[in-house]
Amino acid sequence: MSATLKSPLLPTCGTLRSIEEIAPDNFLYRFKFTDKTLSSCMPGQFVQLWLPGVGESAISICSGKTGDTLELLIRRVGRVTTSAAKMTEGQIVGLRGPFGRGFPVEHFRGKSVCMVAGGCGVAPLRGLWQYLLDHRCDYDRLTLVYGMRRPSDMLFAREFKEMAKRKDIDLLLSSENLPPEDKTVVPMQHGMVTAVLHSAPLAPDYQIAVCGPPVMYKFVVRDLRRRGVPDENMWLSLERHMKCGIGKCGHCFVSGKLSCQCGPVFRLDELKGLPEAIECE
Amino acid sequence: MQRCFYFAKADFPRFFELMRSFGPVHAPVAVSSASSSFMPVSGVDQINMQALRTILPPKKLFYPPQEPLVSFSEAGFEQTAPDTAPQVLFGVHPCDLAGLAILDKIFVAHPGDAHYMSRRQSTLVVGLSCLPDPNCFCTSMGCGGAPARGFDLFLTDLDKGYFVQVGTPAGLSLLSPAYEYIRPAKTEQTDQYKEFWQKREECFVSGFQGDNLPAIMDVESDHPMWQELGSRCLSCGNCVMVCPTCYCFDMVDTLSLSGTCGERCRQWDGCQFNGFAKVAGDFNFRATAVERYKFWFRHKLHGFEDPYGDKTCVGCGRCRVSCPADIDRIVEMVPRLAGK
Repeated sequence: MSATLKSPLLPTCGTLRSIEEIAPDNFLYRFKFTDKTLSSCMPGQFVQLWLPGVGESAISICSGKTGDTLELLIRRVGRVTTSAAKMTEGQIVGLRGPFGRGFPVEHFRGKSVCMVAGGCGVAPLRGLWQYLLDHRCDYDRLTLVYGMRRPSDMLFAREFKEMAKRKDIDLLLSSENLPPEDKTVVPMQHGMVTAVLHSAPLAPDYQIAVCGPPVMYKFVVRDLRRRGVPDENMWLSLERHMKCGIGKCGHCFVSGKLSCQCGPVFRLDELKGLPEAIECE
Repeated sequence: MQRCFYFAKADFPRFFELMRSFGPVHAPVAVSSASSSFMPVSGVDQINMQALRTILPPKKLFYPPQEPLVSFSEAGFEQTAPDTAPQVLFGVHPCDLAGLAILDKIFVAHPGDAHYMSRRQSTLVVGLSCLPDPNCFCTSMGCGGAPARGFDLFLTDLDKGYFVQVGTPAGLSLLSPAYEYIRPAKTEQTDQYKEFWQKREECFVSGFQGDNLPAIMDVESDHPMWQELGSRCLSCGNCVMVCPTCYCFDMVDTLSLSGTCGERCRQWDGCQFNGFAKVAGDFNFRATAVERYKFWFRHKLHGFEDPYGDKTCVGCGRCRVSCPADIDRIVEMVPRLAGK
């Protein structure tokens, strides 16, 4: 009967287990949940986090596997995320998801993968690198390029310090501002993300996963094309303000494609002829 | 299943009571000298049988402008129960039936919208024929002919009586207690019915050949008309609110004064508003009125990769009559794009 239909907009319960400010205004949250559907989260997918009485935000998965605990990196920037930063352990939230198409880890199998992150775009890519490192023998060479405004903005610094000891992943980090007094946990170049991307070991057959602020994409794409990488090897995670995650609310249309269904990770050639895909004001 | 019946106009009050026996009847009511709205009616005299296009399309009955979907308190949160009491929606014209069919596809596509579907299932839709005014162009959009689906009953006005098409078993059940005056249609009534729909097509003074429309939208995506008209857009969002197929929404939380309980509500939203495609960091993927104007028309006249996947204009003319900037003249815009 219709009366028993469950609304896809009804969240399930999650409990805040821990909250840690890993950089100014950037918090890493761990939510415990019981809904098994959420355990199937894959890198690049997103969930809807609801703070009852405040609102809901689409947040990318930022861990390689989910189990019964969801890790989300949230920057304090708007109404919901500012409220989230004030949460205390044990607080109940609503969770829906996972939604969307993430990074194609199966398609990447056997290939070299270069991840290009800008700012807090590093969060969804953390899910990817954790997954790839957990399944390290399934992948060829791994490279991680990460650009930030200043070293103090660096997210997941502890993890980077550990990764820097590994021989099976190349790290290339850059900061637009590099004051000599700022200490960095890993070596960092001065410049934009594109500057380090220029020196990254890359071949046209590399698979590239990109996530960063909307303005970053056209520069990264331009440079990758110059280095011979074909569009079909570039995977971009596009930022849109998903209100529902289930293809109904219309907010995440990229031209005529629903980002919450066809994306948020798109292969660049799928975005051909879509004027508003990576251009914005 | 007997599909065609007929009853005399003198028996319409009895037919109205028949509808009322199913549930409250919503029908077009004149709310000013020039406009009508779907409203609950208790008597035949309240219905504006000549109403052409209501201010808001019938989507408001199934997908209200604002509705709570989830309630929350200290005890947790739960889905609000949609109102599933039986009701009748009377006087739906072919364009609006086509609009509902499009909304059905969006909201029924997996995962189905519980609130929309519940109301849709508890509502009996009774259509009514109409004659076009100069703002109508449903025939150009391919939905102007005699409807064959999307209704429980459809009434065609044949001067002295109504020709009744039955669309569903529920529609047939409604008629069964009234076989005394609702009789199977005779040949001459069927002939009159066919004549009505043929003549109706000749009544359209506006329109265009719509077959090539999606292709024309593709090849003319940079036509100067978009800039010329779009730059006059006020971003008021009237067009999306009155459109029978616009389905975009926002979700908003409302909190009680105590701060301990509240509701999560769905509200109509529209792509013509400035902040619709804004993301964190203050980036806007459709920052100008021209971009938003083009975007809306692409959805209407070309179609998107949404669950419907086809053009979503049904030619009702509501955007045309409600646009304060007078830039939604589709019947003039399409021929201009087509080079005629």
